[in-house]
Amino acid sequence: MRAIAQPLSGGMSSRWESEQGRLDYRPFFAALVVFAAYYLGAKIGFALTLRPHPVSVLWPPNSILLAALLLAPVRIWWVLLLAAFPAHLTAELESHVPPTMVFCWFISNSCEALISASCIRYLIDRPVRFDRLRNVGIFCFFAAFLGPFLSSFLDAAFVVLNHWGHDNYWEIWRIRFTSNALAALTLTPLIVMWSAEGIAWLGKIRRPRFLEAGLLLLGLLSVNTIVFYKLAPTADSTLLYLPLPFLIWAAVRFGSRGASAAICTLTFLAIWSAGHGYGPFSTRSAEENALSIQMFLIVMSVPLLLLAAVIEERGKGEITLREREERISLAAESADLAFWTIDFERKESWMSDNGRAIFSFDRDQPLSRELFLSRVHPEDRIAMDEAIERARAASQTFEIEYRLLRPDGETRWLISRGRYLRNDRGEVSELIGVAIDITAQFKADLQLQLQREEMAHMSRVSSMGELAASLAHELNQPLSAIASNAAAGRRFLAQNSPELEMFDELLADVAADARRAGDIIHGIHNFVRKSEGTRRPVNLNGIIREVLRLLHSDLLGRATSVETQLAPNLPMVDANPVNLQQVLLNLLMNSIEAMQSKPAAKRRILISTRCEANSVVTSVRDYGGGLPKDNPDKIFTHFYSTKPDGMGMGLTIVRSIVEAHGGKLGAENADEGARFFFSLPVATKKETGEVA
Amino acid sequence: MSSARELVCAVDDDPSVRRGLRRLFKSAGFAAETFASAEDYLTREIFQGPICLVLDVRMPGLKGPGLQEALEKRGACEQIVFLTGHGDVPTATRAMKKGAVDFLIKPFDSGELIEAVNRALGRSKEQLRKREQRREARGRVDRLTPREFEVLRFVVMGLLNKQIAAELHTAEKTIKVHRGRVMQKLGVTSVADLVRISQRAGVSPARNPA
Repeated sequence: MRAIAQPLSGGMSSRWESEQGRLDYRPFFAALVVFAAYYLGAKIGFALTLRPHPVSVLWPPNSILLAALLLAPVRIWWVLLLAAFPAHLTAELESHVPPTMVFCWFISNSCEALISASCIRYLIDRPVRFDRLRNVGIFCFFAAFLGPFLSSFLDAAFVVLNHWGHDNYWEIWRIRFTSNALAALTLTPLIVMWSAEGIAWLGKIRRPRFLEAGLLLLGLLSVNTIVFYKLAPTADSTLLYLPLPFLIWAAVRFGSRGASAAICTLTFLAIWSAGHGYGPFSTRSAEENALSIQMFLIVMSVPLLLLAAVIEERGKGEITLREREERISLAAESADLAFWTIDFERKESWMSDNGRAIFSFDRDQPLSRELFLSRVHPEDRIAMDEAIERARAASQTFEIEYRLLRPDGETRWLISRGRYLRNDRGEVSELIGVAIDITAQFKADLQLQLQREEMAHMSRVSSMGELAASLAHELNQPLSAIASNAAAGRRFLAQNSPELEMFDELLADVAADARRAGDIIHGIHNFVRKSEGTRRPVNLNGIIREVLRLLHSDLLGRATSVETQLAPNLPMVDANPVNLQQVLLNLLMNSIEAMQSKPAAKRRILISTRCEANSVVTSVRDYGGGLPKDNPDKIFTHFYSTKPDGMGMGLTIVRSIVEAHGGKLGAENADEGARFFFSLPVATKKETGEVA
Repeated sequence: MSSARELVCAVDDDPSVRRGLRRLFKSAGFAAETFASAEDYLTREIFQGPICLVLDVRMPGLKGPGLQEALEKRGACEQIVFLTGHGDVPTATRAMKKGAVDFLIKPFDSGELIEAVNRALGRSKEQLRKREQRREARGRVDRLTPREFEVLRFVVMGLLNKQIAAELHTAEKTIKVHRGRVMQKLGVTSVADLVRISQRAGVSPARNPA
């Protein structure tokens, strides 16, 4: 019985799911319920027979079986059919039906239930509910039409073959069909809807609803009593429609559950009264009366079930919509989003509450493009206006980052996304959008940027410290030359032997050396000053030459030779020159350090540049010890250093600079030594109108 | 102070510094030449007169002990003045130990440099003079016969003729004749001069008598 422990439908099924592994008693329970219900249904069916007519007006057992099949998993259908059989047998034999006929009828009844249930279960996903128009439509067609329609052929054939009764084949077919169709419409939805979640539903509804339900039931009973008992059989037949308002009330206010219950009430009262000779369906022969009742009830119940389904569906849709709106507004609040719409046709506008708070708009202030623009920082206003205008003209979404200047003087950073919607005629009808307050993120980014710059600056200062002696030498060269020339000049003058041509050369040298000293100082100052300046198109070959000049003395002092293979006509890269100098300086100093233990003849560095697929690749190759063999990437981690007094920040800074420029830094072991390389994207032509 | 037979050579990889130094030395009346590297300088023919070499410590190529060795092999008598961009003590000490005349920090005072160059040239001249004297003394000593040379070595020891005769198992008279010839050949009149010239020529005294 373990196989039963599988998802079933609805409330009943969920109880089926648990307790895996234990002996599942629920199929037995279900079988017991089906047995009892089938037996009871058969009894009711016999009771609702209009004497002397032999066929019941409403035959419930088939519908009860169908409801059970719809609710239960397919795997235990055979259990249910097996349980229904003794009930069928008992009830029919008690009514003195011959055993062959009893058996045949069970076959035809089971066929009907199986046909309907199979088709419905095939088309409707579990759990089967009649709260959607599609489901009710499918149910009406298969359960109230196709199942009875097909099985009635079998049923009528059995009756004729067994010579049970005196009606002809088509008579029997017709009676069976309408009787079972009515039963399916009346009972199956009631059982399915109420047994699945009915009890839980009752627990959920509030007291005023109970009161309303009581009133409805009272009204329905009174009207039905009046119509089916008190009215004279000859009364106006339009009075038959008196219960209709109550039925609609049930459908509108209580959905498919209310509607099925109300239909059931109506059905039983109508048949009962006719069976006892009261009301409008008691005037003609039993057969005719039965048909009239059936047609009346079928016509009443089908639209009512559909109506209830439509109403419930719409209600659910509204709930879903509300939930979605709530979810969106929750998301908007938690993400500091401002949603807004401007409807040009209806001249309406809406903005979420936190949106109004961000923009500091008043609660009911109507929105307009002009109002938005008035809040935008004056420097960003034109760009914003242009972006919106472009989006309007091209029917595209605009996205723009801008500053907001609030009336209280506070500046906030925002990203707005918006779109123009067009109506059927292609005219702009609505502007919808969302704005995100990114001030916090922006400030954090700024902070991070400052920290990065601070670190880079510290590293540059420390590099300069390391290079101080070499730089002093570098600077002393022109100063020595100047001093020598000046002293020589004075001596020549004192000796009164000034050759003018020689003096001219001498002074030209002095001037050139003074300039050279100035350039060196300027270069150092640029390199160590705090602000990094701005990005501009730069030529990497130029940067390399500048750095080599800074390092010239150091390279000499450490007996390291540098070869360059610089690609001619190298495209420019968009970069901050100081940053790139720092990258090269750090890489070169690393290379120099890496070769300190090598003999002087082997200490050489090869710097090359080349252009490669829209980027400029610079490589610095040394002939030192190479990268750590076990984990070459370790060199890029913070505070990792092979130098005894190294901070381990050099390559971290190099990487952060290269990546901030949209490039990539890599390192690999060469035949002897290591090769570091970084790529930087080739500068593109500035795009028009940079958005602030 | 200066003479045409003196030369100042400056070696620096920086052309501008080279030009400045050449002018400075010329203004001070020196004959000056400049070279971009020590290797360049070594290709120059050996200058026989007093010569001062002004060297930058920080230079590509040959420097330090290697250069010192190469210079000695050539047998010229360069005196070196070092220039450096930064005057760290270890470098200066090393340079001075190797016999540098001076060690100046760039940018140097030109008066100091000229003074140092003069000192270097003076030392170089002195070195040349000593070398000349030694050669001359050697020339005279070379004219002695082996016997005379032996007698000389005992004389520088301070032995009397009688003692020398005993040492050489000969007559005192013979020694006296030899001694007279030695004085005559070396061109001296006193024992003090004889000792001095022997020292210059590097004549070692005979072993001490037991």
